[in-house]
Amino acid sequence: MAEKTDFEPNIVAFLCNWCSYAGADLAGTSRIHYPPNVRVIRVMCSGRVNPLFVMNALQQGADGVLISGCHPGDCHYMQGNYYARRRFNLMRNFLEYLGVEPERVRMSWVSASEGAKWKEVIEEVVNGVKAVGPMDMFKRRQLNW
Amino acid sequence: MVDIEKLREIAREIISRDDVRQLIGYRQGTYGFRARPAFVTDPGEVDKLIFSPACVNNLATYITLEERLPVPRGQEPDLRKVAVMVKGCDSRALVQQMEEKAYERERILVLGIPCTGVVDMDKVEKRFPGVLARGEIVLEGDKFLLTYDGKEEEVAKGELLADKCTRCRYPTPLVYDQLLDEEVARFADDDYADVEALEKRSAEEKWAYWEEKFSRCIRCYSCRNVCPMCYCEDCVLDRLNPQWMRRSVDVSENTAYHIARAYHLAGRCIQCGECQRVCPVDIPLMELNRKFYKDVEELYDYEPGTNAEAPPLLSTFKVDDREDFIM
Amino acid sequence: MAVKKLSKDKVKEALQELTKFRLIAPAKSDEVVIFKQIENPDEAYLEYGNSTVPPKRVVFPQTETLFRFLRGSPELKEKDVEEEGTTVIFGLRPCDARAMAIVDRLFSWDYEDPYYLKRRQLTTLVGLACVEPPSVNCFCTSLGGSPFGTEGLDILLTDMGDHYLVQALTEKGEKLQETLSAHLEDAPAGDEKKAEELAAAAEGKIARSINTEGIPEKLPTLWEHELWKKVSAACLGCGICTFLCPTCHCFDIQDEVEETGEGRRARMWDSCMFSEYTLHASGHNPRPTRRERTRNRISHKYSYYPKRFEVIACVGCGRCINLCPVNIDILEILEQVVDAS
Repeated sequence: MAEKTDFEPNIVAFLCNWCSYAGADLAGTSRIHYPPNVRVIRVMCSGRVNPLFVMNALQQGADGVLISGCHPGDCHYMQGNYYARRRFNLMRNFLEYLGVEPERVRMSWVSASEGAKWKEVIEEVVNGVKAVGPMDMFKRRQLNW
Repeated sequence: MVDIEKLREIAREIISRDDVRQLIGYRQGTYGFRARPAFVTDPGEVDKLIFSPACVNNLATYITLEERLPVPRGQEPDLRKVAVMVKGCDSRALVQQMEEKAYERERILVLGIPCTGVVDMDKVEKRFPGVLARGEIVLEGDKFLLTYDGKEEEVAKGELLADKCTRCRYPTPLVYDQLLDEEVARFADDDYADVEALEKRSAEEKWAYWEEKFSRCIRCYSCRNVCPMCYCEDCVLDRLNPQWMRRSVDVSENTAYHIARAYHLAGRCIQCGECQRVCPVDIPLMELNRKFYKDVEELYDYEPGTNAEAPPLLSTFKVDDREDFIM
Repeated sequence: MAVKKLSKDKVKEALQELTKFRLIAPAKSDEVVIFKQIENPDEAYLEYGNSTVPPKRVVFPQTETLFRFLRGSPELKEKDVEEEGTTVIFGLRPCDARAMAIVDRLFSWDYEDPYYLKRRQLTTLVGLACVEPPSVNCFCTSLGGSPFGTEGLDILLTDMGDHYLVQALTEKGEKLQETLSAHLEDAPAGDEKKAEELAAAAEGKIARSINTEGIPEKLPTLWEHELWKKVSAACLGCGICTFLCPTCHCFDIQDEVEETGEGRRARMWDSCMFSEYTLHASGHNPRPTRRERTRNRISHKYSYYPKRFEVIACVGCGRCINLCPVNIDILEILEQVVDAS
């Protein structure tokens, strides 16, 4: 494929309210710089994230999707992240089977105290998606008003 | 082989019972080698029942397909049992439906058919084109014997056998009240060769493959409707708000549809192959379902439709589930 | 009208010539034959029986933008069908062409549908006669059609072995024949007679039939008849029989709006066999079960349509019989209608 150095991906991140959103917030208040490619959607729990959210984000023009929740054992609702883990392992494998590069669908555990980890995660996701280029497989086509 | 006289006798007995509303079985189709579902409510109708390798339909679908209309005031709901004929693969649909508490075991009466394999009707009609008169197929040893128009032909079993049967792990039903024949020992196994071959391709090749298939889809939803596991009363595809999949037919929405359909069957698909059989534009839907089937078996050691007592795969977890993909 | 011959080794160059228009021809994708736009004559697959998806979707696309809009703007941008340009559907079967002629009556009835009619006007239909009936379930002769039928067609091609006999049937057809004149030769003497013989032989090979006399009048009298429950018991409620029917023409209209405020109003095929087809916003469904839906499908084709347009909305292509996953057979249903009392 062609050079993709000037490609700035759009990443949609679904963050759980209790850990990852607070972790991202901490990164902000601690003035930690991380790539501005990420658009955050706050959900109450990673277990809230319907796999169809991922599919729909990719359809609507996201180049990559990140789901992030509390570390195992730390879920505010005790078990939500465990369910999410099963779901996304399958979803990720399945999308890879259709030809969606695994770099586009990522999952992470980021706690409320891990502002620095949030930065690392985002850097890794953005670099991963940059390497595979824009997502145009089953993106909705433009209407061109 | 199922003794048809014995089948009809048992059916007559069952449908004469006061606590049985109807019996779902098979009967001769309207042309050629086809067979089709039969719905028997009266002892006088049992003589049309048959079983042969042409009986491809998974009748477990009808248990959940039937509309449940509101019962008018003053009337009692009809709680009588439904009797259903199932092959090995079909019986797993019943197990999975019960695992998900779709209905109580007491609601159904299961006539199990130990199955030695059914035909792929496309293969039959390709091999014997233009047969209008009703024909018959029987399996004798390793050969299918086809009788039609006064002719009789033998074809090696492998040439007409449905693909799903070459991977069948459960030829004898896993749930039944009465078994119509001797148990059949497992004669095949699944090595996921088809899924693995596709997994090995590059991302571009995979998408090129699926894009071509998905672009053919006309969204008739026959794959959803025929599926014994697709029994939601309010399907996500029909919902307008939120509308996850638009009704418009293009590669984007078709792909979304196929992702959603296949994902909803993750850890639920019991490999009866009906979706692929009914698809008018020959989309290899089982290759999608089988990817999940394989992953679920490898990652979670779970096989859908084999244990009605087990909790459904995605409504449970283990603390030590794999998480090497998580950052 | 002039009768010509198109030698089989010149078919490709004739198709190449036609690619200057929007050329639609049967093409094979795995084992499925579908009509699609072709750029390269090698894609065309003329040795087919009949296509899985009927060519109706060329003139009546499964999804069609009617107009585009922008949130907050009073302006609308209407779809201009003219932009699609002259279209040639090459090699469709006579039943499918006849189906278009039947559906034309609906789209030009109380309201003249500009999208459909414009597209029909721009389209020339080059039919391919069925020397062999494509399927055992063909029954076109029962409905006034024929394997060599010309209704709705502009040109009829007949496979004569090493060449096609080319008969222009309309002005549009003659014009297209003119375009192709460099690839055509004079038809050998006796070809027309031979074609007539082939036609008679083909009609003789149509094995299934139904006497439709009286059915349109009888159907409404069987509204509550028990036969509907019986024939619909196996129905899965999928859209195969309607989506693949060359005369089914129901559509739904939906707006699709993007986050940017750009949107379109589009119409898309709908099927009376779907449960949500008649579902009211209140939750009430006047056709609550498959029984009512099956009754509607048969009644629409064989009773409502003939009452309004004096023609049965079925051409006997046999697709709904061949492709029904549970072998629901429209001829068997009609026989039961005839026998019912």
